Amino acid sequence: MKLLTMTRRALLAAVAASALAIGANPAAAQTPPGVLVVGQVAEPQALDPHAVTAVNDFRILMNVYDGLVRYASGTLEVEPALATSWEISEDGTVYTFTLREGVSFHDGSAFDAEAVVFNFDRMLDENHPYHDTGPFPLSFFFSAVEEVEALDDMTVQFTLNAPYAPFLSNLAYPTGLIVSPAAVMEHGAEFGRNPSGTGAFVFEEWRANEAVVVTGNPDYWGGAPALEAVVFRPITDANTRVAEMLAGGIDMMVEVPPVALSEFGGDSFQIVEQAGPHVWFLILNALEGPFADVRVRQAANYAINKEAIVNDVLEGTAAVAAGPTPPAFAWAYNEELEPYPYDPDRARELLAEAGVENPEITFYVTEGGSGMLDPVAMGTAIQADLEAVGFDVTIETYEWNTFLGRVNPGLEGEADMAEMAWMTNDPDTLPYLALRTDAWPDQGGFNSGYYSNPEVDALLEEARSSTDQDRRAELYRQMQVIVQEDAPWVFVANWVQNAVTNDRVEGFALEPSFFLLLHDVVKN
Amino acid sequence: MGRYILRRLLSAIPVLIGISVIVFAIMAMIPGDPATAILGSYATPENVAELNRDLGLDQPLVQRYFIWLGNLVQGDLGRSFNLNRPVLDEVLERFNATLILAGTAFILCSFLGIAAGVISAARQYGFADKAITFAVLLGISIPSFFLGMMMILIFAVNLRWFPVSGMWPIYGTRDIWALIDHLTMPALALAVVATGVIARLSRSAMLEVLRQDFIRTARAKGVRERGIIWRHALRAAMVSIIPVLGIQAGFVLSGAVYIERVFQWPGIGQMLVDAILRRDILLVQGGVVFVAACYVLFNIIVDVAQSLLDPRIKT
Amino acid sequence: MMAFLKLLARNQLALAGLIVMGLVVLLAVLTPILPLADPDVTNTPARFTPPFSEGALLGTDHLGRDLLSRLMWGTRLSLAVGFAAAFIAATIGAAIGIISGYYGGRTDNIIMRFVDVLMAFPYILLALAIVAALGPGLMNALIAVAAVNIPFFARNIRGITVGIAHKEFVDAARLAGLSDAKIILTEILPNVLPVIVIAMSTTVGWMILETAGLSFLGLGSQPPQADLGSMLGEARSALITNPHTSLVPGVMILIIVMAINLLGDGVRDALDPRLKSGALSRPLPATLVARDRQPGETADGTALLQLSQLETQFHIGPRIYRAVGGVDLQIQPGECLGLIGESGSGKSVTALSIMGLVASPPGKITGGSVYYRGEELVGAPYELLRSLRGRKVAYIFQDPLASLHPLYTVGDQLIEAVRVHRNVPKAEARAHAIELLKSVRIPNAEDRVDNYPHEMSGGMRQRVGIAMALANDPDVIIADEPTTALDVTVQAQILTLLDDLRRDRGVVILFITHDFGVVAQLCDRVAVMYAGRIVEQGTTDEILASPAHPYTRRLMACVPELGGGRRRLEAIPGLPPVVDKLPAGCAFADRCDKVRAACREGNITLDEIGATRRVRCIAPEIEEVPA
Repeated sequence: MKLLTMTRRALLAAVAASALAIGANPAAAQTPPGVLVVGQVAEPQALDPHAVTAVNDFRILMNVYDGLVRYASGTLEVEPALATSWEISEDGTVYTFTLREGVSFHDGSAFDAEAVVFNFDRMLDENHPYHDTGPFPLSFFFSAVEEVEALDDMTVQFTLNAPYAPFLSNLAYPTGLIVSPAAVMEHGAEFGRNPSGTGAFVFEEWRANEAVVVTGNPDYWGGAPALEAVVFRPITDANTRVAEMLAGGIDMMVEVPPVALSEFGGDSFQIVEQAGPHVWFLILNALEGPFADVRVRQAANYAINKEAIVNDVLEGTAAVAAGPTPPAFAWAYNEELEPYPYDPDRARELLAEAGVENPEITFYVTEGGSGMLDPVAMGTAIQADLEAVGFDVTIETYEWNTFLGRVNPGLEGEADMAEMAWMTNDPDTLPYLALRTDAWPDQGGFNSGYYSNPEVDALLEEARSSTDQDRRAELYRQMQVIVQEDAPWVFVANWVQNAVTNDRVEGFALEPSFFLLLHDVVKN
Repeated sequence: MGRYILRRLLSAIPVLIGISVIVFAIMAMIPGDPATAILGSYATPENVAELNRDLGLDQPLVQRYFIWLGNLVQGDLGRSFNLNRPVLDEVLERFNATLILAGTAFILCSFLGIAAGVISAARQYGFADKAITFAVLLGISIPSFFLGMMMILIFAVNLRWFPVSGMWPIYGTRDIWALIDHLTMPALALAVVATGVIARLSRSAMLEVLRQDFIRTARAKGVRERGIIWRHALRAAMVSIIPVLGIQAGFVLSGAVYIERVFQWPGIGQMLVDAILRRDILLVQGGVVFVAACYVLFNIIVDVAQSLLDPRIKT
Repeated sequence: MMAFLKLLARNQLALAGLIVMGLVVLLAVLTPILPLADPDVTNTPARFTPPFSEGALLGTDHLGRDLLSRLMWGTRLSLAVGFAAAFIAATIGAAIGIISGYYGGRTDNIIMRFVDVLMAFPYILLALAIVAALGPGLMNALIAVAAVNIPFFARNIRGITVGIAHKEFVDAARLAGLSDAKIILTEILPNVLPVIVIAMSTTVGWMILETAGLSFLGLGSQPPQADLGSMLGEARSALITNPHTSLVPGVMILIIVMAINLLGDGVRDALDPRLKSGALSRPLPATLVARDRQPGETADGTALLQLSQLETQFHIGPRIYRAVGGVDLQIQPGECLGLIGESGSGKSVTALSIMGLVASPPGKITGGSVYYRGEELVGAPYELLRSLRGRKVAYIFQDPLASLHPLYTVGDQLIEAVRVHRNVPKAEARAHAIELLKSVRIPNAEDRVDNYPHEMSGGMRQRVGIAMALANDPDVIIADEPTTALDVTVQAQILTLLDDLRRDRGVVILFITHDFGVVAQLCDRVAVMYAGRIVEQGTTDEILASPAHPYTRRLMACVPELGGGRRRLEAIPGLPPVVDKLPAGCAFADRCDKVRAACREGNITLDEIGATRRVRCIAPEIEEVPA
């Protein structure tokens, strides 16, 4: 009986305690004004811009660091940032930047040409004393850089081994952000947890899998931000993220699941959308099997109801893709390109012409991954469409890393079709890495479907080494027409990125670059 | 007793080494590697090879294992490829959160489960028994992640009684009340299944014990029914309940994997899932060995508790 | 098999589970021939149709596929996966467990170490890693889920095998030269099979839940194939906006798992031999009273304890065992009454009925009365009964090891006996406990008081049992075969002790035994019981000198009289009748060498054949006792 009274007492205490807890915290979630709480999709890996690869991490980094250049708001065109101006040599191999005066890192050290040199040497020079604070997986973005020199305190010069048109664009990418050399020297390999840059927000604290907190930088060279602080909360599960948004636990969330968009229809939320440089496609195995025949590849393009996928499966969070280059690269996009229409009869005709009425194909689908949108649902819808015109499709689903491990070495002997999506910062990147003959997997490229067209190869090589943007645009437009006709891929969708904010947030817009820039955001 | 504990601790070492070998082997068998995971779309064979070299993954597997083992002895679990920080730091930080969650859930399910089982047995075939049996059956039949999501919808989004996710308020004091506020839902969701299992077991253990002669003796002495149930029967039933508590502790720890994800609890379960998916070998290795060590330790505690409870067991 | 099904059917919940499960399985089997929509045909414009809409009874999912159809096909697949996984895990786990348990030694050590390793690994991570290693697909998820459950089966089965491997019949088989494989297959396996089946039946539901869990983590069946787990996993992202897509598979999982669990419980109970005896019920604090007949005669003023027409029955299923069939007994102050009979004669049940200690269910007092000092105990409020137990009427039980609580010291148990009835400080109670131990002649009582029962010898334990009975100076001690479990010398000591106590304290003893030798030494009067009824009653001397009932005579012939030299030892041929089908007339007729036709006709009364003698026989061995 003693035990019973004890448990009874304990129970009472517990009930009282939880009652108190509820009472002490009425309607728990009301975030303070001036503090923006952002729901992220995952815990960042590190806050060292040279060491990370995920868009999720870039969203934080772009607010803590600056690069020499950046994308002008609302575009993918480069404008000055830490460099106020630059000159490119006639042959396109020497870039000379004039740096912004009076900028200092959050740790107090000064930003100068030596700091820039330090940044790039750390990444690129294996003998640099701080090269071991890596690895730097995306350093190949700058593999064309032969040397970085400080000409004087405020002038820095990059020498490339060959003309490389996307260089400036790559500098605007997070891998080109400038970190504080002093902080790297102080923290070594732990720099990723103790970041210091020149950006609008200063790193405050990182609580593992809880939050990364940054506060406004009053001395920011571009003017102090309106927000006092930003809290980045990783919330892995999409449902939980939506629930937090609904409950008021976060002020802003990115990558809203399409099915959840209808929840945010009311006045208390606003949905922000922005098409970005993203393309979601199906790699077709042009080397062997049914897709070796261009007619079968085209048939697949006709057979799939992209409108239905984009509007129904993705609830309008994507647009139908016409070719390999997303429209977000406005200057390089061929406006005349029309997407393959949904025409099952035409698809059947083409199959009949090719003499394969019921081609059997193996289709690699991933469970989810960077930029893959809703790959299982999309893959299932695609399978159903293809089967409707006579294909016999077997889906094999793989978890993202296994998937990449299977797709990137090439589909030969494994599969006929695979899902894929790319987000890039320059119209050169994707076609150069994934459509050239020299980019077949055995040569270290991503042309996993073994597409090969010498004409396309030539166009891409020329575009890469040309420093004249108009010329480049012309070449890319030609390439798009040829590639669309050759149909090495099924062009499915361009992601229209979305975000939701509550009604206390003002002045927020998404960038085509998919970065999250919070300098001008206000929270009431 | 001291010698017994020492012997048990020593015998745990081969178990832990076995676990580390298995983890290493499995991680080696899984297609994909950390470099692919880090590079994502940029994982060309060339880039992968280079990054692997930077990560020290180009050495033979066996050699890497022994390097790891050697470092382990010195208390160094290596660095996580993905998080770019020492594995031990991350593991300790995450384990702390899991311990709070799983520990609370474990205490909850132990007390609730045993209480429910005892009441159920004491009122066999009565209304309380039927109600408890039904609730228990419902509890062990619901996938815990589903339950968790439902709880979030009802109690956090609609009623706003509790915060949706996380362990601490983002702003505000981090006191015990704030913790309880955040802990209540995930701990309950995590405890449900184990509560059911323990309740079922406690009920049958109690029924078994209540038929024993010594219960009749106690009744013949005139002991009140409460004393019979809680002092005589429960004490004896604990002998068969406690080992199950040990096993359930493992289940609670495993169930935390789902619950941590649903409630964004910054625990080690979620970390391990991510680490496996990202092929972060050392993090998986360190995390699993750490968790397993705690599990083994917990089981030693259970056995010691068992021997303290039951004087017939020789240690 | 039929018995098994019958037992299963008796358990209503299990029956409900069986019916639900049967329906689900039936529907799953019939799915291919039911007029259902194609589960894989997408119709994205018609996505998330709510339930009960035209053409889609349960609505459609995120791709516009018919949920009802997917549910049916998904159930089919999930059931198959759940059963297959449970079967694989059970088979492999049992094989490992049996081998480990049978061979023991180093084999056992190595295997169990390995099992330990696997069990220390958080199982869901192991499953995750296995799926990641094997690649995608429901088949691999099945393997993973089965694999992580193998250690649990192995450990469970090993424990049971160890217990069996050293049983006599296994040793016998070994001596007979059977090979290990043969012994395992013919001797061990049949004995662990029920446990395997039980474990398997309770695991199936768990397996389905676990595959659903893997699906939640993104590792399950290949689209577009539907299984319940992946349906739930896919629908999860629309939980907030379109809960019905999650609820449909969620509720199905719930139904299946609940039904399987109910059924599993039923199977377990049905296979558990103890349930057949109704023993899995918990005894109530006091025996149920359901007197459909009049209570017995009113109390006799002089008797301290009086049983009148006492009837106790056991209701097990449709059978009714009449363990006590109308017993009359009277015990006067200062008296020691022996109640003697074979095992199964109902003497212990009679004794336990007095204070309502017959396990109930299945026991029930169905008639008659028990009076203590003229107060009716049958049907008395529980609190009255409890306050008398141990205080006025105390018991000593047969097996002192089983009847003492194994986890408390004898001191604690004695102290409790005192403090239950008297509010004395603990220290005082402890001193009293030591006194009690001394009074039953336990040496070093001060030390012994802190011993656990298992640390004492059988005789010592029984002394503790006696001490406990004496704790509150009761008026009556009911000793239920207190010496049966002891060896002869100890038996004699205990009897002497009881005899001394009885004389010193004037306590009344009702002594239950099957041994006339014991009766001769201790009792003033004897009542002989057979098949739940008193067949003869009288003073010890009279009965020993001239047994009147043939049964008494035969019973006496069975035992050597203590100190009486060797006598004829002969067993009574045949067995006592089963008390659920008592014959008409004399229950002993079938075994009696003097049986005649009249013995089997009508009730035979307990007739007086002297001032103190009564016998229930139409042809007693002696006609009349001289006054």
